[in-house]
Amino acid sequence: MRSLFLLPLLAALLPAPARAAHLGAAVPDTTAAAAPAADEPAAPLGLVAQPWYRPHHVLVQAAGGQGMVAAGVGYTTLRGKLEVDVLAGYVPKKYSITPMGVFTGKATFSPFALDLGETKWQVRPLSVGMFVTHTASNGMVESRDEKYYKGYYWWSARTRIGGFVGGRVARVIGSNRFGQPRTVAAYYELGTNDLYLTSAMTNLGGLPLHDILTLGFGVKLDL
Amino acid sequence: MLHRSLLAGAVMCLLAGCDLIEFSPNETRTPEAFRNLTQKNLERLQAQPNPTGGDTLRFVFTGDSQRFYSEAEDFVKSVNQQRNIAFVVLAGDVSDFGLVRELRWVHDKLQHLRMPYLTVVGNHDLVANGSGAYQQVYGPLNYTFTYAGTKFVMVDTNGREYGFNGRVPDVGWVQRELREPAPDVKRQIVMSHVAPMSEDFDPKLVDSYVQTLGAAPRLAFELNGHNHDFSIGKPFDNDVTFINSYSFEKRQYVVLTVWGEKEFKLEKVQF
Repeated sequence: MRSLFLLPLLAALLPAPARAAHLGAAVPDTTAAAAPAADEPAAPLGLVAQPWYRPHHVLVQAAGGQGMVAAGVGYTTLRGKLEVDVLAGYVPKKYSITPMGVFTGKATFSPFALDLGETKWQVRPLSVGMFVTHTASNGMVESRDEKYYKGYYWWSARTRIGGFVGGRVARVIGSNRFGQPRTVAAYYELGTNDLYLTSAMTNLGGLPLHDILTLGFGVKLDL
Repeated sequence: MLHRSLLAGAVMCLLAGCDLIEFSPNETRTPEAFRNLTQKNLERLQAQPNPTGGDTLRFVFTGDSQRFYSEAEDFVKSVNQQRNIAFVVLAGDVSDFGLVRELRWVHDKLQHLRMPYLTVVGNHDLVANGSGAYQQVYGPLNYTFTYAGTKFVMVDTNGREYGFNGRVPDVGWVQRELREPAPDVKRQIVMSHVAPMSEDFDPKLVDSYVQTLGAAPRLAFELNGHNHDFSIGKPFDNDVTFINSYSFEKRQYVVLTVWGEKEFKLEKVQF
């Protein structure tokens, strides 16, 4: 639910100039600035005018506290350094009291790309990111309803905020309809969430770091 | 290639049931080593002779281990130095957020106890999917066991967590378990997380619950947690003794020695 409200926010995060910069290098022809005829396939300029609701990639993820499986869409900006994704995940009843829907919004920043020379491979060895998840499930007992006085359970049972480090490897698999290289990328995220972090921070030495870690991994395909 | 080793790692991890792979912190899934611990601990208990021998039973009583992992380590060290302890009872709030990983973290510490330990469910253990997690890791919310002539009735009394629905605690079940003790039962002990004096106990059930305890033929006392502090007294006019435990946070616990029908000795231990 909450992640739906994130969509306009994501749109705001992706101003047209940033997207233009991302693609601008591939626009040598200044005449392209003229409006293309309606029946012609959109030139790279068309991308500049690409509406916010047209995502740049689709992704599928497993685990990472975001569902047994999750699928979503996302945007890439800052020359591939920043990705912003929304996902809808699912955990079957077998692993819970009732089935859980996990809705995630996250931002991943991958500042460096390895220089691999002339190759179809792209490696961004380090990513850092943050996520927010909202869990929808009929079985869950609320922590913030009227049963106890306000603040008795100070955390939300349904909303988790977390962070992660990770990395990604991509391979060019042809080009998209604008002639840009299209990649398929595999990524991983080693993360934790607010409640685990609270448990570790209040037990320095008593709760080893690896106890609070979670691992997620997935695949992203450029559109 | 990097991506191949990454993929291989991920696949290996999945096959090995990697602990890092988490679908949701609210999942109840957990490895076999962390399942049915009540049953496993009871089997271990029944297989061990009573360390004190004779009519006497000596056990450690504590509560509210929630999010005190460093303290849990020291608790284990301290209890392991005590002599003739048959088992440890933990009066609920094993976890803080009702997450399955928290129950595992507690078990990671308490499994180093030389003796078995048994728990009763607390209100914090019931938040979110905690009820499912507790039942997966420990077992039933209401259960009984008899050891060294002592019948323990472990009962979920977290009425507020169920919106005071009139069904928690299950007074009828408590009544049946206490009414006619088997011949080998010399004394009875009831343990729950929330005491009937607490405002978190279902007000509709206080009278019937307290009467049930008062009518029990050989009840030594009732044990509770929830308050994070020690207390002992007879708050109702039916002569039933209520003892409240320290939480792990207070770095103290109680050693109870029971004999005869209702005789007991109480020692406080700091750690």
